Amino acid sequence: MSFPSGAAETLTLMQIAGREDLLSPIIQLLWILFLMLFILYPNFSQKLQLSYILRDLERKLYNLKRIREEVRSRTVETLRKYSEGNTDLERELDKMILSFAITPESMDPYGIVYKLEHIVNIWEDTFEENVRRLCPKAEEEKAKTLTNLVEVARGIDYLYRVVRHYYLLGKRTANIYIVLQIQMLMPQLMEIAEAYRQACYAFMQGQPVGDGVGALAAAKLVEGLEKKTYEVAKDTIVHELVMDGRNLFVLRAVGPGGAVGKPADGIIKIIEKEGDRVKAIVMVDAALKLEGEDTGKVVEGIGAAIGGIGVDKFKIEEIAKKYNIPLYALIIYESISEAITPMRESIAKAADEVVERVKNIIKDKVEEGFSVIVAGIGNTVGIGLS
Amino acid sequence: MLPSSREKQILNPLTFLRCLGCSTINSRPFKEGDYVFGEVEEKCPKCGGDRMKIVGIYVKEPEQREGKKQKTL
Repeated sequence: MSFPSGAAETLTLMQIAGREDLLSPIIQLLWILFLMLFILYPNFSQKLQLSYILRDLERKLYNLKRIREEVRSRTVETLRKYSEGNTDLERELDKMILSFAITPESMDPYGIVYKLEHIVNIWEDTFEENVRRLCPKAEEEKAKTLTNLVEVARGIDYLYRVVRHYYLLGKRTANIYIVLQIQMLMPQLMEIAEAYRQACYAFMQGQPVGDGVGALAAAKLVEGLEKKTYEVAKDTIVHELVMDGRNLFVLRAVGPGGAVGKPADGIIKIIEKEGDRVKAIVMVDAALKLEGEDTGKVVEGIGAAIGGIGVDKFKIEEIAKKYNIPLYALIIYESISEAITPMRESIAKAADEVVERVKNIIKDKVEEGFSVIVAGIGNTVGIGLS
Repeated sequence: MLPSSREKQILNPLTFLRCLGCSTINSRPFKEGDYVFGEVEEKCPKCGGDRMKIVGIYVKEPEQREGKKQKTL
């Protein structure tokens, strides 16, 4: 049998390594080269992983940027409705968004709480003053809600800048451990970013948010009852009334503008006026639930139920200890997103349950003729006076 | 860039109003300026009264079925 010219050479080539095709040895060669890459360049797999993580982070960072831009433009749009028109709102908003407060030196912690309170008070007042200056057409209550709106814009902006910092730092230094940490946190951070987006719309329109459930419960407790209402501290009011023979002081931030007030200052003033007659302080606040727990579940405990930087908590604990007044806490479970987004049905309905529980605590723990303070903690946006 | 699938719709709460005449509770979509315990001039669909009090503003949650509830850990 004879082959045509050239066919014999082709056949010989195809029979290399005992195979009948040319593709197999090429693949084998490439495979060996690929394995050599891992042996000669041990960081190759890590570099590959790094580039994958960076790509994933970049995609999420774009989403974060989009949310930040959306919140920012909505904030400018809302502020514009209440401004005079000749103000450079974008520039002024940037100044507020980038403003900061330097926490006091903690090397000698003596008196640090009051120093921190001083700094935070100045910062909050300046923030509010700036919003009022930018929006002279806004009424008192609206200006407070607009301040909250700017705080939301500030929050999402800060979140974006922190994530971008770690992304760029990890990329520049090719440090997989930096980008890995931020990548692991990204799902929770994106949830918070989405909550900020929702919160922006809630504050734009003055809708009650989940965090306001404490104030809502306090308002429902005194709804329709004869009472004396007066301001006891900055943005904080107290309803004074008699319920089942007990003197009740129901304290909350003033609404319907977005405010949290100064509950500690209010409680201190009431105790200093009432003295030993105060037999209990009942605090109602929203609290972070664990994953898997039901939103709106009401739980009882002991202690000062109040969040924030800790100044109010410290002051309430201090006065309660001084006068030996027991602190009872009622908390309503919700997630971080539910706290700053429009109030859910289960949270709103929990306020009614809280009212009944507070009444029971008062009946059980306070004798007739004595006084009790009930503090509804939370942001009062969209919650008026009952 | 297209919006991510994670991005949710904006939550639109409902305003619940109690008629000051017949105490019937009605609801409607939230309007800017509404606040809990505020009084508004709106017609009651039942008695025709023109003053209502806002008794709640919240996002209605879908009813959870019993079977689904039991599956939760």
